Amino acid sequence: MTRITLGSAVLRGTVVGVLTASLMSTSALGAPPVDLSKWSPEYVRSIAGTQDFDTAADCAKVTPLDYKGRLTFWYQGVFEGDPDLLRQYYKDFFETFRKTYPNIQLEDQALTYNDLLDKFRTALLGNAAPMAVRLQILGGTEFASKGYLQPLKPEDVGYSTDDFWPGAMKAVTWEGVTYGIPTNNETMAFIWNADIFKRAGLDPDKAPATWDDVVKYSKQIHDKLGIAGYGLVARKNAGNTPYRFMPQLWAYGGGVFDEATANPTYSQVELDSPQSKAALQASYDMYVRDKSVPVSALTNQQADNQPLFVAGQLGMMISHPSDYNVMLDLQKKATGTDKDKAQTVIDNMRYGLIPTGPDGKRAVVFGGSNIHILKPEYVEGGKVDEPAAKAIICMWTSPEWSLKMAYAGSNPGNLNGFKTKWMKERLDNIKFLDVTTSMLPYGIPFPALPQSPEIMNIIIPDMLQNALTGAMTVDQAADDAAKKVKDLMGGL
Amino acid sequence: MTTVTGKAEVRRRLPPGRFGVLRKIWEHRADYAYVLPAIAVMLVVIAYPIYYTIELSFFKTPPGLQLRDKTFIGFGNYTAILTSDVFWRVTWNTVIWTIGSTFISFVLGFAAALALHRDFVGRGVLRAILIIPWVISAVAASYIWKWIYHSDFGIIGAVLVGLGLADRPPNFIDNVSTVLPSLIVVNIWREFPFAMIMMMAGLQTVPDQLLRAAEVDGANAWQRFWHVTFPHLRNVSTVTILLLAVANFNSFIIPWIMTGGGPSNASHIWITHIYELAFGRQRWGVASAYSVLLFLILMTLGYFYVRALSGNDRKEGSP
Repeated sequence: MTRITLGSAVLRGTVVGVLTASLMSTSALGAPPVDLSKWSPEYVRSIAGTQDFDTAADCAKVTPLDYKGRLTFWYQGVFEGDPDLLRQYYKDFFETFRKTYPNIQLEDQALTYNDLLDKFRTALLGNAAPMAVRLQILGGTEFASKGYLQPLKPEDVGYSTDDFWPGAMKAVTWEGVTYGIPTNNETMAFIWNADIFKRAGLDPDKAPATWDDVVKYSKQIHDKLGIAGYGLVARKNAGNTPYRFMPQLWAYGGGVFDEATANPTYSQVELDSPQSKAALQASYDMYVRDKSVPVSALTNQQADNQPLFVAGQLGMMISHPSDYNVMLDLQKKATGTDKDKAQTVIDNMRYGLIPTGPDGKRAVVFGGSNIHILKPEYVEGGKVDEPAAKAIICMWTSPEWSLKMAYAGSNPGNLNGFKTKWMKERLDNIKFLDVTTSMLPYGIPFPALPQSPEIMNIIIPDMLQNALTGAMTVDQAADDAAKKVKDLMGGL
Repeated sequence: MTTVTGKAEVRRRLPPGRFGVLRKIWEHRADYAYVLPAIAVMLVVIAYPIYYTIELSFFKTPPGLQLRDKTFIGFGNYTAILTSDVFWRVTWNTVIWTIGSTFISFVLGFAAALALHRDFVGRGVLRAILIIPWVISAVAASYIWKWIYHSDFGIIGAVLVGLGLADRPPNFIDNVSTVLPSLIVVNIWREFPFAMIMMMAGLQTVPDQLLRAAEVDGANAWQRFWHVTFPHLRNVSTVTILLLAVANFNSFIIPWIMTGGGPSNASHIWITHIYELAFGRQRWGVASAYSVLLFLILMTLGYFYVRALSGNDRKEGSP
């Protein structure tokens, strides 16, 4: 696997045109700071380090640096599956903010992906929400549609809408109004252990081309080596599950609705389509028929796959480029012969594009996070310090910090981040970054609907668990999930 | 406490018989003043939430709308709950969870108390060790047990495979049939020390002279236990069982952390289901109706608890 091969694969992708059009269609307001039509690893390298930005000076135009105020702020922070490198950048960000705006009293609170929505919803019920919040991409529409958020667009903090991925802007738009700004956007990649592939009689330098190949490879690895082939994840109420299953569902031509098309209408539920059932059948085949994935998949999240992978007990998984850094962190903590084993795994770690479906369709979740300002009536004390909120939003969504806060695992929400010197440094330091930037054009956002969190965090994992535990057949599980989505959309 | 002067004064002011209740309140005005702050706090943090939950249970709260946009549907949520398959499945899980956890914890705790009531070397150390599961945080215990049970790399599985007793690790918590019994085992491990402590305290109250007298009369160990010890422990046993039952009905931490109610809802009990309905799916109305039903069940258990305590008081107060 080489970077050049991956770049070519991106350019040759048969479906890439449609998906790219969906994600990259520019608005009429002006040209984006980067040429999205040329998007490839080579292009990303060519623009990195070509422009300097002065974050403090830019944000001073939005909120004066001597502004005195108070801000309560919650954000989706780092969790157990993130590398130490990211923890350091989060620490640096808040230190820099406090130095840049010494008179803003910042009360910040980090919450993990799986806890944030529940806690935020509860706070809103008691009108005790923070003034500003950084939510996962799924959450924006839910809270905007309910009227909790203030309109907020990039122009409000000194940037242009065109500075952000058009696909990401859709996730913060409800009924034509923009309610937030993307901080980072991400696509994952396919990771495998070349040594395991070799020992199992597979080509160590070639990722499975299709999802059917993943099923076959997983079985071959399990049968020959007695370890888990693919790191299936099916835990409920965990973001990792839809991020790993939806690419499979879309690749087979299925979907919850028509979200994988260029102009989704979300009018027809597709979870019970033959294509969706084929995707579910592939998971069933791995878990039940072949027993080639971890038995603990039903209670696992990606953080549980990482130790299995570094221990050489797992052949393949889907994740961020940051998993390479996580492996390095885990290796540092290992002792004795485990340290050498971990090093062998790290040396044999390979990244590639996520496999395609039977018709050549390749897809990945276009994920990320957005930052929002709350309406005063839902905030503790009934007041929102807007200049203070805009100050932190300006800083987080700046080219500099939107890149640094996504340094190892994601990509900057602000496209200008790709032009900074830190991007250049990152391309040299973060291994396999090219692969995930190559996946960006295949990214499909979750349906921009208020019901999406329940669909992705509860209904999809339930469908998987119902099929994988044998509580229902594959057909029944898919039909049951489709009915639940229809009921949900019908207001039940 | 009121003074004699106060009582005399009120008797003078209020004609006897007509304002008896008011007079009693006035006589005990100091007592009421002492409990007033506690009552005020209870009204705010207990009574109002109960009232609001009952109110919400009669409203439809569509997940796509704010709570203030709720619509009145009478007993619609209750009808929906009682006619849903999920309700009966979750109820069955809750019954198994509560009864299984309560009675096995009680029996094990009682047995441990009887063993530790005897005088032997190391009794104090053993007692301290057995209390450890109860003092460990439930959150920490849940994570530890999750790893002990891990279907791929759990300690139990590793030992069984290592000893050649199994080809592959047993599937404890990723299987719909075994998940609930596995969680009950964890709950029992955490709770039986509580029953043990309660029963040990009860055993202290059994008069030695009665046991000795029974022994002199020729009663064997079982007869002494059944006819002397056990009757003395009846009230403390009732209270212990009721407290365990209430705690188990309200259990949340162990099932939520270890399985989140899964897989395939096989370990959802009422509380975890209510939490998911409310905070995960934002069906506040339905979740409130569930909560009201749970409240009624717990109040019933509470009634028996209070009755058991009152029975104790009466017994102790009798000549």
